[in-house]
Amino acid sequence: MDTVDGYIVRVRRVHRFFRRGSERVDVLNDLTLDVPHGEFLGLMGPSGSGKTTLLNLIAGLDQPSAGEVWVGQELVSAMSESQLARWRTRHVGFVFQFYHLLPVLTAFENVELPLLLLPLSAKQRRQQVLNALDLVGLNERVRHRPGQLSGGEQQRVGIARAIVTDPLLIVADEPTGDLDARSAAEILDILGELRRALDKTILMVTHDPHAAERADRVLHLEKGRLVEQPGGAG
Amino acid sequence: MKLLLLILKNIRRNLLRSTLTSLGVLVLVFVVTLIWSVLWFLDLVTAERSRNFKGIVSERWRMPSQMPFSYATTLEEGAAREPGDVRPEDSMTWQFFGGSFEPDPRKRTRDNTIFGIALEPAKLGTMMDELDQLPADKAAPLLEAIAGLEGRPNGIIMGRTQLQRTGKQIGDRFTLYGLNYRDINLEFEVVGTFPEGRYDNTVAFHRHYLLAALDAYQQARKRPHPLADKTLNLVWLKVPDRAAFDRLGAQITSSPLYASPAVKFETASSGIATFLEAYRDLLWGMRWLLAPAILATLALVISNAISISVRERRTEMAVLKVLGFRPAQILLLVLGEAVLLGGLSGLVSSSATYILINHAFGGLKFPIAFFPAFFIPEAAIWWGLAVGAGTALAGSLVPAWNTRSVRVADVFAKVA
Repeated sequence: MDTVDGYIVRVRRVHRFFRRGSERVDVLNDLTLDVPHGEFLGLMGPSGSGKTTLLNLIAGLDQPSAGEVWVGQELVSAMSESQLARWRTRHVGFVFQFYHLLPVLTAFENVELPLLLLPLSAKQRRQQVLNALDLVGLNERVRHRPGQLSGGEQQRVGIARAIVTDPLLIVADEPTGDLDARSAAEILDILGELRRALDKTILMVTHDPHAAERADRVLHLEKGRLVEQPGGAG
Repeated sequence: MKLLLLILKNIRRNLLRSTLTSLGVLVLVFVVTLIWSVLWFLDLVTAERSRNFKGIVSERWRMPSQMPFSYATTLEEGAAREPGDVRPEDSMTWQFFGGSFEPDPRKRTRDNTIFGIALEPAKLGTMMDELDQLPADKAAPLLEAIAGLEGRPNGIIMGRTQLQRTGKQIGDRFTLYGLNYRDINLEFEVVGTFPEGRYDNTVAFHRHYLLAALDAYQQARKRPHPLADKTLNLVWLKVPDRAAFDRLGAQITSSPLYASPAVKFETASSGIATFLEAYRDLLWGMRWLLAPAILATLALVISNAISISVRERRTEMAVLKVLGFRPAQILLLVLGEAVLLGGLSGLVSSSATYILINHAFGGLKFPIAFFPAFFIPEAAIWWGLAVGAGTALAGSLVPAWNTRSVRVADVFAKVA
């Protein structure tokens, strides 16, 4: 995924509204945003400010009502649902607040899921899964099911699943929101390491100021508009 | 392969629900297999064949048919009068004899009663359906039994169920006290049995033995037996094709030899179909009400289970979509789950039905027409697979289709 002028994500005058009965709810208003390649960007803001909606648009899970979303050289906002599905598999890794691992699958199988959609041999899949689990420090727990893992371990499996296809963009929605302080710190360490060692671009939505401190840059959303503030550990 | 593994793991996810659904499929496929087996057999015996089919001569106006035995000789020749007339390829006469082991009429019950067919022994191997096409290993014991009938005037061949029911075995001797042929009591010796299957309830003996007994009655009583002139019940004629059948029919029905009583000539299948007329409503109900109702219930059972399962996993479906699974692939996962569960349960059910009914119970004792028992055809094993998978597919289409509408954005926290 090539960048344009060093930016991997370019959001141009994006508008997103929803209908609630006869009422129109504007969630994002004329929002423009550039994210440089390799940046760890934090998104903060009060509930209902549009953070998750923005994340959904960038990750190709939703389409804007108006405006454009570019990721690399791809106009994501113009893709069909099936094009988006294929694109997400290759280019975006997702980390969820509640992990969303499949309970019937082992850690290995959960991480392997996105690879099933790619033209890889079983040997290649296995190698990539083991590498991803090794990166998050879970190579001893590959045969465990989610129910046999702690919250922190489950989130690490979630991160392994997000990076196993080697995407350039990782979107994380409250990745520490369901974890204790120690586990949250471990997860943030891993995300920081991914950015540094693997040059991943990370977009993280969070309510947690401690988590936001790990970001290179933190953007605040209020009523669907961006309010940039200096901060982040860099 | 991996997707199949995922489907299997999803089936194992809620073992209780999967087991209950599977049990529902097992029971319903069992019932539908029984119904279809009965209908399949009746369809088979009432279907008109295009070649090598058999016709039945019987009394035109009376059921059961009772013709004089004097008809037999000419009917066996197809009533051929002129050199160019058609003659049947083979023929067989049937005389029904009902008798009881119990001499005291007040003590006679169904359990101590037997109905047998008096015929020419050799015809068992040439004119009886299925027996005329036995493989060599099964034909040998039958031929031996037929030879026993030819060699012993009082020989009798009994089907396996009849032997079991009456507690007899080969070599046993017994007397049957006539029911329809009053005062005709016949002593028999069991000389063999029929191959397992369709003829388990059949009993056959030499027609000469019955005719000799009727002659002896006349000599002893100085008057013929009341049934002496009504002893021929059916005459079977084998013809090569439809044209020969039609010509033979014209020869027989136009012959002055069969004026009183008049006779009719029809295919075996239409003869059976006529007999089945009495059961028409019952069979119609089985075919068009009961079986479809069971299939619909089956689809509902599976639909219900899959709906619950899908509703519980909406978030998982959304996660799969987020990861890049396309709606069609998720649809396939859900359908695969239902079809695998339904198909496998159906296959197990029909296989078990085949083994249980045919080998453990000796056929389905469904008292309809003159068929003592119905057997599950081998093809029914595949019916179970098809019925289970088909109804599962039909029942899971709607819930599976609904998974396409799962919104991927819903997997992220709603609060942000």
